[in-house]
Amino acid sequence: MLSTPQSRLFLPTAAALCVAFAPLFATADNAVLEVPDAVATTEAEMKPYAEPIEHTELAIEMVPIKGGTFTMGTPESEADRNEDEGPQREVTVDPFWMGKYEITWDQYDVWSEQMDQRRRQMLSIPATPRDELVDGISKPTEPYTDMSFGMGKERYPAISMTQHAARTFCKWLSAKTGRYYRLPTEAEWEYAARAGTQTAYSFGDDPDQLDDYAWYFDNSEDAYHEVGQKKPNPWGLYDMHGNVAEWVLDQYVADFYSQNPKIKNPLAIPSTLYPRIVRGGGWDDDPDMLRSGVREGSSEEWKEQDPQLPQSIWYLTDAQGVGFRVVRPLVEPTADEKANKWDKTAPVQLDPEE
Amino acid sequence: MKLENKSPGSSRREFLKSSSQVAAATTLVAASAQHVHAAEDNTIRVALVGCGGRGTGAALNALSVENGPIQLVALADVFEKNLRSTHTSLSKHKRVGSKVDVPEERQFIGFDGYKKAIDCLRPGDVVIFATPPGFRWVHYTYAIEKGLNVFMEKPVTIDAPTSARMLEINKKALDKNLKVGVGLMCRHCKVRQELFDRIQNGEIGDVSLLRAYRMAGPTASAAVPPNTTDLSELQYQIKNFHGFLWLSGGAVSDFLIHNIDEACWMKNDWPVRVHSVGGRHYRGDMIDQNFDSYGMEYTFADGAKLLVDGRTIAGCKQEFASYAHGSKGLAVISSASHTPAESRIYDGHNMDKDKLLWDWPEREENPYQLEWDDLIAAIRNDTPYNEVERGVMASAVTSMGRMAAHTGQEITLEQFMSHDHEFAPNIADLTLDSESPLQANADGRYSIPMPGLVKKREYL
Repeated sequence: MLSTPQSRLFLPTAAALCVAFAPLFATADNAVLEVPDAVATTEAEMKPYAEPIEHTELAIEMVPIKGGTFTMGTPESEADRNEDEGPQREVTVDPFWMGKYEITWDQYDVWSEQMDQRRRQMLSIPATPRDELVDGISKPTEPYTDMSFGMGKERYPAISMTQHAARTFCKWLSAKTGRYYRLPTEAEWEYAARAGTQTAYSFGDDPDQLDDYAWYFDNSEDAYHEVGQKKPNPWGLYDMHGNVAEWVLDQYVADFYSQNPKIKNPLAIPSTLYPRIVRGGGWDDDPDMLRSGVREGSSEEWKEQDPQLPQSIWYLTDAQGVGFRVVRPLVEPTADEKANKWDKTAPVQLDPEE
Repeated sequence: MKLENKSPGSSRREFLKSSSQVAAATTLVAASAQHVHAAEDNTIRVALVGCGGRGTGAALNALSVENGPIQLVALADVFEKNLRSTHTSLSKHKRVGSKVDVPEERQFIGFDGYKKAIDCLRPGDVVIFATPPGFRWVHYTYAIEKGLNVFMEKPVTIDAPTSARMLEINKKALDKNLKVGVGLMCRHCKVRQELFDRIQNGEIGDVSLLRAYRMAGPTASAAVPPNTTDLSELQYQIKNFHGFLWLSGGAVSDFLIHNIDEACWMKNDWPVRVHSVGGRHYRGDMIDQNFDSYGMEYTFADGAKLLVDGRTIAGCKQEFASYAHGSKGLAVISSASHTPAESRIYDGHNMDKDKLLWDWPEREENPYQLEWDDLIAAIRNDTPYNEVERGVMASAVTSMGRMAAHTGQEITLEQFMSHDHEFAPNIADLTLDSESPLQANADGRYSIPMPGLVKKREYL
């Protein structure tokens, strides 16, 4: 299946060459890959930038999202509203950058298949401090099957990973770049999806317009599509509605909103494996599941056809409409804040002992 | 591309995000089935030999059959960790945990564990063989001697001499009317069964070309890094069994057999000859014996072809599917992975949704469960049930394609079946302290295939 190349997902070749020889820019005691546009200390300085994936031609495009306060949740008047979408509450979030697109297979496989290190070794390029760092981060066990289930790879969204896998990708990306990436919180995700709107979708309340903005059951022909093919939301984010539902950091807590009517940077730190939250709906969902405010919890059935026991900590064989995108907060949290909030999750996920 | 003609509430959507439907093990056995099994009580006891992920999954499927009492009573493995993990997973399983009764005295570590586990069973019970397949003929011999029913995972053989031997051994199982299932679960898939009937009824015309693909990235333990563990050479090879021909038949036997088998099934024949290509490219310091790409051309007696592509290179086009082309059109045998098959028939040779003639409207049942429902039903109703011959043929045909790639020669099925290279002649006598049948050279590397240089056997 041939597709039109989307140059915006790739760096210009000249830049790619610089990246390939990034040791020129990175000193040994500094494990940050230099990307001038990624540097900002204030919200005003935040720019869109492309995060290069060293030793590949790939980059992850990031969009600045200003901090602010918004009404999280769904008004009772909204069609198809579920009880867990309320009560509406006032939420403040700090500024962050967010992936313009869902993470694609090409990007995901750099981590899961170590495409960067394979290529570096084939070309006899010495390891950078960042290469040393990513070496210590776990990667998924080799799958038994084509995890794209015949729907396409490359610029199609990566799917069927557990939240643990998505979190580990972020950990890898942070080590690989020297910048802190993570999954968005549920609040950050909804803030970015609404993009200043209060309606069911970021373009209004009319599901008949969904075809312009989203891949979903009625138009997807039973498969996901390459990222960025539909119109973006007002803040320039693509596929927030549909294509694949996206992991966020939170545990699914049905009455979470009522616990704090007014809160800053909320996060329901996960303490059980199920349910955790995906947002935005996917190619196999109906319009009501694509609404900005809808909340979906994961379940064990997402692993149903995994023929192995114990089932894998990396794969959700049946969650073929679930992927993720990354965020990077403007102010990187301290090690303590990461340990006690942003990176905190339980139970610990370990592969069966070798 | 997939179809869009699914009506709302169709199988795919329910399958992908079923919120409440757990695939309950339903059987087609009438409730009034006579319980001819085991005179004094009708509990079927199960022993599991080989506690890897798939073996444990098979035991779970066994315990999920709901047509009478069934119990897991013994476990055997060469690695204690595997055994513990299996015992924990199954005994704590919320649905089948109550059917697990394996105290320490019925947990057996070591190469002779299979005998001890089998000795915990009575004639008419079931033993599951899910070790690396090199051991299959050894274990099967003992199970037949003890009058047990058997479920064995695929492949069932990995070289020519043991394929011929397995067919011979099986005659005794047929004589004793033992029920023997082989883990080619696609054969139990109702969707493929209907497709088979339709193809045999001429719906795609004369079948002249079949295609089978398992092109994924690196898979399971096909690529094996040097042993830096404290495991012995033998233990390390067993842990990474996909990397070594004497244990598994390598990536070809383990990964390609399902797609080769379902293609031959639809053709309703076994091919008579094969030639293949393949090679090792990104091998780095890997020590296994596999190629990372294989392409095989099988020919059937009527001249029809089966083309098979296997690849385990990261970053390349991925496809995991099988197709049959006839004079009237195209049958998709399976679409992606093994389940759901989404089998369908098109007018013509393109998957053009306007030319769709047939597909399966309902949610597909899980074939890993169906193969167990069928086996246990046969045991309880005492109906003839023995899948070994087709299991051996599928294994042999797959090995023959691998051998053609590894030697660079064209091979007929007749030549293959009479070939004398047995990879591990001493496999029945291995102990935990034995030397491996495959020894590393001075550089710590294992003998690999050398097509054209070594033609009479797959490796020296």
